Formats: sequence, structure tokens, C-alpha cells
Amino acid sequence: MPIQLAKSLKLHRDKVWSIDCSNGMLATGSTDRSVKIIDASQYKLLDELDNTVHKKAVRSVAWRPNSYVLAAGSFDSTISIWNREGEEEMDNSWEMELLAIIEGHENEVKSVAWSHDGAYLASCSRDKSVWIWESDEMGEEYECISVLQEHSQDVKHVVWHPYLQLLASSSYDDTIRIWREYDDDWESAAVLNGHEGTVWSSDFEKSETQLRICSGSDDASVKVWKYVRDDEEEQQEWICEATLPAVHTRAVYSVSWSEDGHIASAGSDGKLVIYREAQPGQWKIVDQQELCHGVHEVNVAKWIKINGKTMLATGGDDGYINLWNWDTSSTSNKNN
Amino acid sequence: MSEFINETPTVLEDNQLPTRGEDTDGNLLLGTDVTKESLHRTKLLLKIDNSLQSPVLQNVELLTKLLQLNQAPELTTDESDEDTDDMADELGVPADPIDPQEIYDLIAHISDPEHPLTLGQLAVVNLKDIEVHDEGYKDRMAEVIVKITPTITHCSLATLIGLGIRVRLERALPARFRITIFVKEGSHQSENQVNKQLNDKERVAAACENDQLLGVISKMLSTCK
Repeated sequence: MPIQLAKSLKLHRDKVWSIDCSNGMLATGSTDRSVKIIDASQYKLLDELDNTVHKKAVRSVAWRPNSYVLAAGSFDSTISIWNREGEEEMDNSWEMELLAIIEGHENEVKSVAWSHDGAYLASCSRDKSVWIWESDEMGEEYECISVLQEHSQDVKHVVWHPYLQLLASSSYDDTIRIWREYDDDWESAAVLNGHEGTVWSSDFEKSETQLRICSGSDDASVKVWKYVRDDEEEQQEWICEATLPAVHTRAVYSVSWSEDGHIASAGSDGKLVIYREAQPGQWKIVDQQELCHGVHEVNVAKWIKINGKTMLATGGDDGYINLWNWDTSSTSNKNN
Repeated sequence: MSEFINETPTVLEDNQLPTRGEDTDGNLLLGTDVTKESLHRTKLLLKIDNSLQSPVLQNVELLTKLLQLNQAPELTTDESDEDTDDMADELGVPADPIDPQEIYDLIAHISDPEHPLTLGQLAVVNLKDIEVHDEGYKDRMAEVIVKITPTITHCSLATLIGLGIRVRLERALPARFRITIFVKEGSHQSENQVNKQLNDKERVAAACENDQLLGVISKMLSTCK
């Protein structure tokens, strides 16, 4: 079954920059400075966060795993932390309360992400740095435990590995950096060179047997990188294993790697593309949707899980969130 | 809208010709080779609609206020654009594609941040350096590429000029347009750096939320017709 639009939701008055989904709850961030919480199974708006908290666009939203704690990073250089009020109550009322405002970055925060165990929050900014924060149990106090400054330009995106304490950051300096914990501190473990333009986003493979990451760039390409080994100087050696079939004609703003191994990409050309690995290191396009937000640019594409079912969520400059059905089991037939 | 439909083309000429006649041959836009009366009429209606937007676009103070009110000014443009296209559909002809002259007219009157002259007068923007790929359909993507020639090679204001042009075009053009702006080869010391910044969507979006910068840009755009 090809990609099919399940639901189109006009949630924002301006660009949708970011989507995150956890426990079937979608959170979205927009240039209109608001953050909305949607019950994705019923397409129901549950709450809109106080939109006077951020003075500029909300660029990135992220749920802390296994909780109703949400982080929102803004162009106003701060990060806000929210929690569902009265979480234990059985009624269906939803209200997010503000827990904390984190300050530290010099200018626009571009991305926020929680580690798989919720222990760390990473953030990055146009100030060229990546910060790692540790919080108390309640999520009210945040302490910066490391400031990583190896990128030479604007850092666009951060993402954590699904199982390991490993962080990847994508930058305007055209590289991806891998960071790891070392002696109570954090250090650069590898630099991934190969894109010929800003790297807008990256996402790790959800695998316990191998370590790979995909990336989308302003050079209109999507690449897959593979960890090989630790070298003599204890730096991780990564290779660019594949450049996915060229299908985008403009910047790729977002990539997402599904639990069952499919990569999705979307960007300025309005296309949503799904790839599958036919043979190790060899990728095929298995489906694509043109104009998935009309003539508007698509800023984010993300695999999400709703009631155990895998779907794709996209957010565009038109202020819409689109949810897409796609039957992953049909792909093997498609390729034969 | 309907009250304008009944206005005579003479009014249209008044609105349009001074803008177009100033820097270059003004005939291009008015579709001199139109033969069908209906098509001609559609084009006139489109022009009138375009001219409707211009008071809004001219009023920089209002735009700034709109931004502060957290409303996207381009929504205004979008809506009117849909109106024109719908009208075109009803008349059974495709929408009118936008040509380089129209782009030129949108940006030539932007003031130079340093001189009391416009970018057109200073030849920072030139008609021959504007490339447009547009079929005129609202549901198909279109592209504008503008090459700018800063007045002096070390002009530190090249980024600001480019940003002004981008903001002007983003506000005035329908959503189907992808805008690329770059500094002409060899005209600037750090052209790659400037080009990268000018075409980074996120940086441009953030710049448009910087009140100080927006103030400077608003001033540059205040001379647009």
C-alpha cells in the first residue's frame, strides 16, 4: 500500500519546525511561538502551552522518555521544560505546567534531545556549541555538565542513540560529530565529513548489533554512515557507507530511521521519501509522496508509533501536521 | 475585490506604470501580445489584485506591527494569491506566470542601506541577473534566482542587502516560490560565506525575529512601490 494521508491537522499559524511523539502524544513547535499537544490516536488537541513563555519561534520539541516531561528550545535562546499537571489523575484533562526555564546559550537554540534513559538533555545553538544538561529527579533543576565547542559553525540538530550514551550533532560546518561520555566528561569521538552543505539532521539506526547513522543535508543528499572501529588514538572510525538514491532536488531538512529499518527523508522540495536497504549498504527508494504539504517546504518528517502502529508525521511551512499511513510489510513485494 | 473589478484599465495604468517605467521598459508585464480578450481581462484583474497588495506591503510600520502581533504577513499575500488564481481558473485560463520583470519591480526600489539610492539605481540588482522558473500554477513549485552585485568588493553589507531582497520576495511572492539569492561570482571577497547565510532558511527565519535587524530591513523596504 503506498503512502496515504491519514490526517491533516492545521495546528499553527506559521511554520511547523518540529514534531516529537511519545506514548501516542504528539508535541509540535512553530514559528508562531506555540507548542501544541495532540492525542495522535484521536487527532484531538489536548493542550496549548502558554505561548508567552517564549519570545521567539519554538524550533525544537522533545519528550523525555517514559514521562510527560517536554523540552522546548527556542530562537529566544532559552529552553523551557514542561510537565503534565496531575499526571496520576485518571480523568482525561490535560494541562502542561512550566517546570523550568534553562538559560545558557548565547543565541538561537536549534535543537533539544533527551538521552534514551532520560538522564541527559542535549541542546545546540547558533553559538556553535552543544550543551549537555543533567536534571534532578523532578526535572526542575538543570545543571550543565559539559559544553562541547568543536563545531566551527552553527549547530543545527542533536540526536541521541536509542540505547547508548552517544550523541550526534549536525552543523552548518557541513559535518556531523559523534560525542561520548569519557571520565565524567564528554568528548568528541568522531567527525563525519562528506556532505557538501549544511547538515540539517541525523538519526541513528535502531539496532543493537551495528552502529549506523543517517544524515540529510543542504546538498540535497541523504547519507548513511557506519562505525568501523576505535583507532589507535581512541577516536572512532566511521565511514560513509552509502549515499541514498538521489531523489531530492533541494535541501533535505529531516531524516528519520524507523525501528524496522526504513529511512524517511523530507525537505524543501516538498517530497516525502521512504528508503529500504535491499542489500547491506545498498538502498532503494520504496515509496515517495510529492507535494506532501502542497507547495510548501517540509521541515520535519518523523516515524511515530500510535497504538503500536508505525506512521509518519510531517510538519510544513503551511502550519500543518500531516500523518501518513504506510504499510511497511508490503515493501518486500514492491521490490520484486 | 468586486468593486475593483469594475475599475477601468486607466486606473491600473496609474498604479502600475510609474513603478515599471522608471528603471526599464514597462511593457513586458502588461502582456503586449495578448490576443484573447478574456485572457487580457484576466491579466488586468491579476494586476489590479497585485496592486491591492502594495499599500499593505508599502506600509512597513503595519508589517512590523503584524509581526509583533505574531501574524505571518505572508498569509495576506497567500490569500490574495489564491483569490487571483481562483479567478483565473473560473475564466478557464491558467494563472499568469511571474516573470523576471515583475521580480525586478519588487526589489529594484529597495533602498541601499548605505546610500540614499535604490538597489536598481546602484545596479546591485539587474534584470538580466534574475532567473524565474514559473508555470503560473498555484499548485506547482516555482523558483526565483537573483544574483546581486554589491557595489564594492569588500562590502560588508552584502548580507544585509541580500536579506532585504529575500524578505521582500518572501512577503510578496506566493508560497510556491523557492527563492535563491547569491552574490555574483567574483564580486565579493567572501561570496560563499554570504551565499550560504542568505540561503539558510533557519538563519533567515531567525533574522526576521530580530527586532533591530527587522527595523533596518523595514527602512530599506520603505521605498518599495
